[in-house]
Amino acid sequence: MRSGHAWHDRHIGYLFVLPATLMLVVVLIFPAFITLKASVTPQGGAGWHFTLAHYQKTLHDPVLLQTFKNTFAFVAWSLVGHFILGLSLALALNQALPGQTFFRLVALIPWTIPDVVAGIFFRWVLNPIHGAMNPLIRMVFPSFPAEFTWLSNPTLAFPSVIIANVWRGYPLVMVMLLAGLMAIPRELYEAAAVDGAGRLRRFFHITLPGLSTIITIALALDMVWEFRRFALVVAMTGGGPGTLTEVLSTLVYKTYFQFFTFEYASAMAILMSAVLFVLSLPYIILVGRER
Amino acid sequence: MARGSRRWIVGALVIGLAVIFLAGPAAAGEKIKIRFQTWHWGEKPWVTALDAFKDDFNKANPDIEVVRDESRYADKETVYTATSQAKAAADIAHFQHRPIPMFAERGYLMPLDSFIQKEGGQKFLALYDQAALEVCKYKGKIYCLPDFVNPMGMLINMAHYKEVGLDPTKPPANWDQLVEYAKKLTTGSRYGIGLIGARQEGLFMRLNPFIWGAGGEFLTPDGKHSAMDTPEFLAGFKFYVDLFTKYKVVPPGVIEQGAQEVRTQVAFEKVSMNVSVPQAWKIVQAINPNMKVLETLTAVPVPAGPKKMATAAEYGMRVISAFTKHPDAAWKVYKSWYSHDIQLRNFQIAAVLSARLDVKNGPEMQNDKFARVYSAQAQFAKLEPRIPEWPKIGDAVITATQEAFSGMKTPEQALKDAHTAANRILSGQ
Repeated sequence: MRSGHAWHDRHIGYLFVLPATLMLVVVLIFPAFITLKASVTPQGGAGWHFTLAHYQKTLHDPVLLQTFKNTFAFVAWSLVGHFILGLSLALALNQALPGQTFFRLVALIPWTIPDVVAGIFFRWVLNPIHGAMNPLIRMVFPSFPAEFTWLSNPTLAFPSVIIANVWRGYPLVMVMLLAGLMAIPRELYEAAAVDGAGRLRRFFHITLPGLSTIITIALALDMVWEFRRFALVVAMTGGGPGTLTEVLSTLVYKTYFQFFTFEYASAMAILMSAVLFVLSLPYIILVGRER
Repeated sequence: MARGSRRWIVGALVIGLAVIFLAGPAAAGEKIKIRFQTWHWGEKPWVTALDAFKDDFNKANPDIEVVRDESRYADKETVYTATSQAKAAADIAHFQHRPIPMFAERGYLMPLDSFIQKEGGQKFLALYDQAALEVCKYKGKIYCLPDFVNPMGMLINMAHYKEVGLDPTKPPANWDQLVEYAKKLTTGSRYGIGLIGARQEGLFMRLNPFIWGAGGEFLTPDGKHSAMDTPEFLAGFKFYVDLFTKYKVVPPGVIEQGAQEVRTQVAFEKVSMNVSVPQAWKIVQAINPNMKVLETLTAVPVPAGPKKMATAAEYGMRVISAFTKHPDAAWKVYKSWYSHDIQLRNFQIAAVLSARLDVKNGPEMQNDKFARVYSAQAQFAKLEPRIPEWPKIGDAVITATQEAFSGMKTPEQALKDAHTAANRILSGQ
């Protein structure tokens, strides 16, 4: 009887986690397995025939190579933008100012907007004929062209998408850094001030070291998010002009659903996941060390 | 934890799991529901025709209910692919002709041969446009019936023509006149012609008339190599691009403009001409109800190219899912949609040119100001290559068009890269 109760107590936890585990299997593990299987299945094939031809093809695909470059550039610039904007706003919102709560809420608004809505919004704003951007600029610089093109301009299309992405995604980094800032003891700043340290020295010698772990975690998580960015790019440019703003997620989508090459698209997706895993290793190691 | 409360918790968990996994859909009534999927549910004036069909059919068939199932134009194939893989696609779905072979190859579509045989076989099929019917066939089976056949024409704004001293009854007959008229019509913030440069299949329906009119072809006659390196292809491609880059008769941001954006430009008189589908004037009217479309717009042929008269066409098809749980009911709905009265009503409301011959050749279409012009273009219409590699090749052509529009590459270089990409695709690389 007593051992029955003990068995019960030891194993009832599994029952509690069963729904979540089943959900994980259905939503994550099963599709991942299917994708992996498809990636090693011959084109148009079925059943259990294996080939590595799709992976071999990825090594010689110039479009995929260019898209990898675009994606790395997109992620890098987005991270830089998120960090600079996120840290700046976190520092500002950490000040004891009137309306602090209100400003913190306002700063979170971009994050509440779905990707596709943000993409459409920016597409409208940057429209050369009907958009709001050109008239706004002309209010300050009247000689600015009335129908200036942003998303069709090969020089400005990519930066435009990045700026939209920075606007959309900075709150994640900001919130994490703000939490980190609030955890730094005020006494450190007071002691430094007493010792004659100016603002800049306090920032570099107290703030940044105090935030170092949070910064790594925030940027690692942000990198994972940005590597998978899809809806914003599709809504704004569709990957154009040409392939200038094509990123991996949009290419995989196009290859799967528009080219109907499911197997090759699956290989690209697995490759993308592998690269993302490698890039995420610092975060995984860091979290492991924290434990 | 007390034994009693532990039993309650375990019991609740088990019941909860049972509810989640064992509860199927609420017990169905006696009606069979047929999901009728199209992006036109969200588009005026089509939605009026669809609602009328749904209401009339449901009233006449109490045991079957046609259910509205919305898709979006941009991702209709995506949704259908994903739902088909889950064996949960809409019973009846609507596409243009391009994805039919791919869907049939993947087993997503139900062959209609057995139903057609019951209806009379060839006699039944003879009711429909035979050229369009060929598009419905794949590996010896019929996977759809042609719903509408829309050759491309041009809409022109007669008021703009008169303003600049042009005669709207004498539209541009060739490319030189097209440029000349477009330049005259480009005044201030208004532009001569709207073009599509966005990454969508609608781009081909505007680009191809110029490619083919110049004598160009996408593939060699054996279908194994790209023919995009010919002077004729370049001439047509370059002309399309030059309308924007050289003659500057197209609004800025052409790469961002899809079919609906250009129709909006027509609706708000931002452009004076537009290569369009037959139903575009109805869509323009729906976008801007204040525009007196019948008095302002008229339809004309796409100007002839230096080599020949040519235009593109859009074929609308409806398909029945291979995974429908109610094939007979689906066929009943399908057949009803393709009946004479429904096809005629669709033309009257949405202005699409029915592929059903007794409607196409009937007095309503023949006497319609817009329909008769578009319908007359059918003899010059052709389709892009119907090969499995076309989506990839088409994407390379769109890339080239955008690169040329944006000045990233010269038209010659952009087309050369597309030609190279197409040959790589055709060789299986």
